[in-house]
Amino acid sequence: MTTPLISTAAVGHEFGPYDVTISSETANIYTKAIGGFESPDYGDAQAPLIMVAIALTKLIDELGIFSSGLQTIHAGQEVGWVRPVKIGEKIYAVGKLAGNSARGNNRFATVKVCYEDKTGTNVGSSSTTIIVTAEQP
Amino acid sequence: MIHSVGDKLSGFTRKITQERVNSYAEASGDHNPIHLNAAYAASTKFGTRIAHGMLSLALVTEMLAIDFPKTWHSGGNIKVRFSAPVIPGETVKIHGEITDITETDLGLIAICSIGCKKPDGTNAVVGQATVPLE
Repeated sequence: MTTPLISTAAVGHEFGPYDVTISSETANIYTKAIGGFESPDYGDAQAPLIMVAIALTKLIDELGIFSSGLQTIHAGQEVGWVRPVKIGEKIYAVGKLAGNSARGNNRFATVKVCYEDKTGTNVGSSSTTIIVTAEQP
Repeated sequence: MIHSVGDKLSGFTRKITQERVNSYAEASGDHNPIHLNAAYAASTKFGTRIAHGMLSLALVTEMLAIDFPKTWHSGGNIKVRFSAPVIPGETVKIHGEITDITETDLGLIAICSIGCKKPDGTNAVVGQATVPLE
């Protein structure tokens, strides 16, 4: 079994850029998952958290957590927005490892992500803290 | 329109079904078996499938979009921790309250306590939002 990146990556390690452009089909599935009669009408903008969710999935994949048989607990999340993002608008997510430490059998990692449009302008940011359990020796 | 300290946000309740979890997995690409595979989930410390934490958080941000439709997506921030998993079949309560209003260089900012509670009242998601006022 290969050593997962989460076990070796140093603070400052960069991830991506990931294409987190949301298609109308994906937006519709997301709405089906979370929506209710109270849900706001976003118009042609996307529900903003979907970009964060997709970037997080790509980060977890790149960190090699599930492919190494590890399990993760999502402990904390920060998100901030500069402007709304339209469905179909090209957006890239770039991550940077901000913390990665082992305590007992667990590993605590924090990844900060910036979301940029096609001009490289920041449209939002997020920070995710995960606890990886049952790390391989 | 809410603008005062102590005002409650437009909370709501929503049932988190396994169908919602399945759709969320499809949209996000997060197919972790702890959310989808009953047999696998039974072997974990939770003993059953759990909803994605980000699904519960998405509901919290819906509340912010309802109460701050013009500003949540333009200058809004949240910081939360995930305290307990939501089990498919549970109906969660999304809640929030303005705890302070402060003046910044960018104008008035509402500081809100926000969260998602499980049916027994325990916190699944708890944290704070800051949102510009119009």
